[in-house]
Amino acid sequence: MNTLTRRTFLQSSLLSTAAVLGGPSLAVRAATPPKARVVVIGGGYGGAIAAKYLQMSAPDIRVTLIEKDSAYVSCPLSNEVLGGERDLASLTFDYRGLTRRGIAVMQDTVVEIDPAQHFVKGASANRYNYDKLIVSPGVDYDWAAIEGMSEAVAERIPHAWKAGKQTDILRRQLQAMDDGGVFYIVAPPNPFRCPPGPYERAAQVAHYFSTHKPKSKIVILDAKDAFSKQALFQAGWQEHYGDMIEWVSGAEGGIIEAIDPETRTLIGSFEEFQGDVINLIPHQKAGALAQTAGLANESGWCPVDQRTFESSIHKDIHVIGDACIAGAMPKSGYSANSQGKVCAAAIVAAINGEGAPAPSYVNTCYSIIAPEHGISVAGVYRLENGRIVDIPGAGGVSPADADARTRALEQQFALDWFRNITSDMFT
Amino acid sequence: MPRPSWSRALCVGLLIGMLPTLPIHAQEIRSESMLANTCAGCHGTLGASAGEVMPTIGGMDKGYLLAVLTDYKTGRRPSTIMGRIMQGYGDQEISAIASFYAAQPWVSTDRVAVANQFAEAPALHERYCESCHQDGGRSQDKESPRMAGQWAGYLQYAMQACRDGERCHPRKMRNRVADLSDAEIAALAHFYESQK
Repeated sequence: MNTLTRRTFLQSSLLSTAAVLGGPSLAVRAATPPKARVVVIGGGYGGAIAAKYLQMSAPDIRVTLIEKDSAYVSCPLSNEVLGGERDLASLTFDYRGLTRRGIAVMQDTVVEIDPAQHFVKGASANRYNYDKLIVSPGVDYDWAAIEGMSEAVAERIPHAWKAGKQTDILRRQLQAMDDGGVFYIVAPPNPFRCPPGPYERAAQVAHYFSTHKPKSKIVILDAKDAFSKQALFQAGWQEHYGDMIEWVSGAEGGIIEAIDPETRTLIGSFEEFQGDVINLIPHQKAGALAQTAGLANESGWCPVDQRTFESSIHKDIHVIGDACIAGAMPKSGYSANSQGKVCAAAIVAAINGEGAPAPSYVNTCYSIIAPEHGISVAGVYRLENGRIVDIPGAGGVSPADADARTRALEQQFALDWFRNITSDMFT
Repeated sequence: MPRPSWSRALCVGLLIGMLPTLPIHAQEIRSESMLANTCAGCHGTLGASAGEVMPTIGGMDKGYLLAVLTDYKTGRRPSTIMGRIMQGYGDQEISAIASFYAAQPWVSTDRVAVANQFAEAPALHERYCESCHQDGGRSQDKESPRMAGQWAGYLQYAMQACRDGERCHPRKMRNRVADLSDAEIAALAHFYESQK
C-alpha cells in the first residue's frame, strides 16, 4: 500500500508544497502561533468533517489534513455506478474547499505515527508534529479469511468496497457478461462497512440486468443469517426484479471458505458455486494505518472512549469512522460524519482546558432499490455508561407499507443525502 | 463474606426497571451546536442545503422550526424520516435545535431564473400566497416559512402534499393551494427558488 515510486514521491512533495503555499492564512499563522496543532489523517467521511468542524469552531487551532490521494471518490452511491445510473466523476471531490477554509491539506502517505513523541511521518519525509491527532483510516481487508483470496486476486475478482478503480473493474465485468450469466456477491460477516451495501448492490445490478440482460441471475452468498433492512430489501427485490435475486444465508450454505480465481469457483461449506462474475466483499478490519500504529485490538478494530473518540490505547490520538468501535452505531458514512463532529468538539474542549461536552450522534442511511423506490434507516444515539446506545423509540427503518409517493421521495432524499453530506465535507 | 443485601438487590432491580423510562431531560445537557450539527449531514452545513428536495433550515423563524420539529415528533406532521429521528429528542433539545438554526444566516439557492419556466408565477404568488408569505416570499413568522431562495424540489413537494391533504399546517394553507394545478405549483416553486 505504501509503495512509493520516485515520480509519485516528487508529485506528492510538490503537491504538498503547493497545498501549503496555497493556504490563504499562512501569513496570519506565521504572525500568531497557533493555540494548538491538530493533525487529521484521512480525508474521507470522518476525517474531512473533523478537520472542517475543528477549523470552523476554533480558528486559532492549526488544522492539517493528510490525505494520500488528490481527490476523494465516495463509496456511498457507488452502487449506482454499477447500476449504470451515474459515473465515478459524479462521486469525485477535491480538497480545494477545505484549503480555502484555511486547513493545510497535505497530499502525503503516512508511514509512521509516534504516539510518545507526538509526531507523524509522511512518505514525503515530512514530519507533522501534533498536540492532538485524529486518525480516520477506513477499513482494510482480512484476505486470509478466504483461502485463495489476495489483494492481487482482487484485481480480477473485485470487491468494489472502496470506490474508484475497483468499482470500474466490476462495472466492466458486468457489462461484458453474457445475458443468462450468474453474478455472485459474497457478503462478509459483521462488522463491516455499510451494512445495507451488498443488498443495495444486488438491487442496482438487477436494475441494470433487467434492462440489458434479463435472463441473468444474481446470487448473494452471505456469511450472515440476517442483514440490514432485510424485509424491505427482500420485498423490493421481488416487486421490481421477480426471482432475479437469490439470497443464501450462512446457515443455508452461504459461508464461503475458499475461491479458485482461475475457474471463478467459490467453495462454500456445503457446495461450490461457479460464477460468470464474482464480487467478493472480504472480511474487514480497521484500516492498515490503525493496525501498524497499534491502535487496533485483537478484534481488528480500534477501541476508543466513546465520548471523545480518544484511543483507549494511545493518549491524544482519536480514531473515528469505520475503524473505531462505536457502540450501537453502524459503520456508515453518516456515522463517520457524526463522530467527526463529536470528536472535533471534544478536542476543542480539551485544548481549552474544559471537560468533553455531552455528545449527540445520528446515523441516516438510504438505499436505492429502483429508480423511484428508496428506503432508509435512521439511528439517534446518546452516551450511557461510557457506551453509545440507541435512544429507545427513535430511529428505525422505513415502513413496509410505504406508498408510491413516499418511496419516490425517499429515493430523492437518498440523492440529497449525498449532495448535502458531501457539501458538509468538502465546501 | 457478607450476603448481598435484599434491599440493595431490590433497589438495583428497581433502578434497572426505571432506566428506560427516565425522561430525556434527566440526562446530561447537550449543547445547541452539538445537537444541531447532527442535522447538517442531510440539511447542509449550518442548515444551508445543497439541494434539492432537502430544505434549507438555517435562518428560518425559530417558532416555525420549533412547531415543525415538534409536529414531526408527535406525528401531527407526517414525514418519511423526520418523525423517526425526532423521537430521539426531548422538548428542551428540540428547542435548542430550533434556536441554533434560527440564529444562522439564510442562504438562498444559487439557482437563477430560467426564461418561461414560471411566467405565470408572480401573478399566482400575488393572488394566492402574498397575504401570508409577504415581500415576495421573503418574510417569515411562526406559521409562514420563508420561501424566497428555498429549493424548488422541497417547495413543490410541500405544496402538493398540502393540496392532496397529506400534510397541511396551518389548515388555511390548504384553501390556498386547493385550486393549483401541478404545473402552477411547479411554476411557483421555481419562481421562489430563483428569488434571493
